[in-house]
Amino acid sequence: MASRTSPEELARSAILVRIPPALRTYTGGQDEVVLEASDLGSLVDRLETAFPGIRDRIVDETGHRREYVNLFVNDELARSPLREVRLEPGDVVHILPSVAGG
Amino acid sequence: MAQSIPKGSVAVVAGTKKGVFVFHSKDRRRWSLSGPYMLGASTYHAILDPRDGRTLYGAAPHTDEPWGPVLYRGRIGQGLTPTKSAPRFKEDSGLAVKRIWHIEPSPADDPETVYAGVEPAALFRSDDRGDTWEDFDALNYHPTRKEWQPGNGGLCLHSVLVDPRDPDHLVVGISAVGTFESRDGGERWTTENRGVRADFLPTKYPEMGQCVHHLAWDSAGDGSIFQQNHCGTYHRGPGGGKWTEITEGLPSDFGFPIAVNPHRKGTAYVVPLEGMGRVPPGRQLAVWSTTDRGKRWRKNAKGLPGPQAYAGVLREGLATDQEDPVGVYVGTSTGQLFASRDEGAAWSLITASLPTIHSVSAAEVR
Repeated sequence: MASRTSPEELARSAILVRIPPALRTYTGGQDEVVLEASDLGSLVDRLETAFPGIRDRIVDETGHRREYVNLFVNDELARSPLREVRLEPGDVVHILPSVAGG
Repeated sequence: MAQSIPKGSVAVVAGTKKGVFVFHSKDRRRWSLSGPYMLGASTYHAILDPRDGRTLYGAAPHTDEPWGPVLYRGRIGQGLTPTKSAPRFKEDSGLAVKRIWHIEPSPADDPETVYAGVEPAALFRSDDRGDTWEDFDALNYHPTRKEWQPGNGGLCLHSVLVDPRDPDHLVVGISAVGTFESRDGGERWTTENRGVRADFLPTKYPEMGQCVHHLAWDSAGDGSIFQQNHCGTYHRGPGGGKWTEITEGLPSDFGFPIAVNPHRKGTAYVVPLEGMGRVPPGRQLAVWSTTDRGKRWRKNAKGLPGPQAYAGVLREGLATDQEDPVGVYVGTSTGQLFASRDEGAAWSLITASLPTIHSVSAAEVR
């Protein structure tokens, strides 16, 4: 069952992370989770701590984001190295694969 | 959903562009489908572990390509799930595993150990059936690695041979790099390409750079090996050393897979294709066989598509079972899966409607 987050909880300090269907096997079916993180790199670390194995789906062993995995902060695609992308309380991070097909 | 598969059945496992399909039969005439498993996941290799006849492995991305490679494991007739981790390079290597190309169970007296060949080319070993992995530094960071160039299919390590007589004896094949061999469990590796042509390079017989397509032990059990190469078919004797080209008698020097009869030494099967276009010579799909280490070849086309066939067969697309007479199975790039229950002489269709078949393997269900 997905957990829903109250606006009050988000407003305190947290980042809301929307989990795509392919990764919900790691989150026990949750389609969104709430974490505290100051940048995307630390957010991925926190995800891994909470849901072991999920990091390898987002970044490879060199620490680089997988080529066809996109991270959006709110509506903006993060193009910089993950640790250079700052997060603010209340941000929403979307983890999305590039669209498949031609 | 669990599906019952009778013990004693032969299972033919097809790894396809859209998941894993298992066909099983008690008589190798009437086949039933179990699966598909991992539906949607482009599976490069899937096998039923012949050591226990129950464990199924699949090498594929996690649900879809963007999420990176994982090894799936499960019990035949039930579901497959990712193991606890996938092979991965050392973090400071600058290398990242893109795809798992081959899964190789160790010999029977080593039931927990499996090997994985990956892209970019590297070999990994797991002693807990794929949950944790160690890499072979001496091969994966070999001094010649900077010279390794990818072939058309990528820089992939696709063939892994573990000697049943001595598990420290390993032989691997890397596309457009060649064959490497270790006799000390992977501490030291030598290039083993003498006698193998590389027509696409300025030097016809270089030390390295040959485009090996697939390797298989000769069932003589003495360490002899068959090789299908981009430039010919080869056999190497028990003592190692130079390969002998055995292409003469085949309609083409190009093809991808090679498989052996586990009961008859010197007996192998290949699927020649035209190098240009990768289609069957004469547009007749045929599995060619030899029983004398390639001195003579026999064309086996009865029941296979032609004379207007354009199907290709990929490097893992040909397999044999352990029955006697041996069953031979071939899967095509156009989704047809064929079986022969008489050592390749005649063929019948198991199914014609699969996605592109990347791999075929066969083993007895126990």
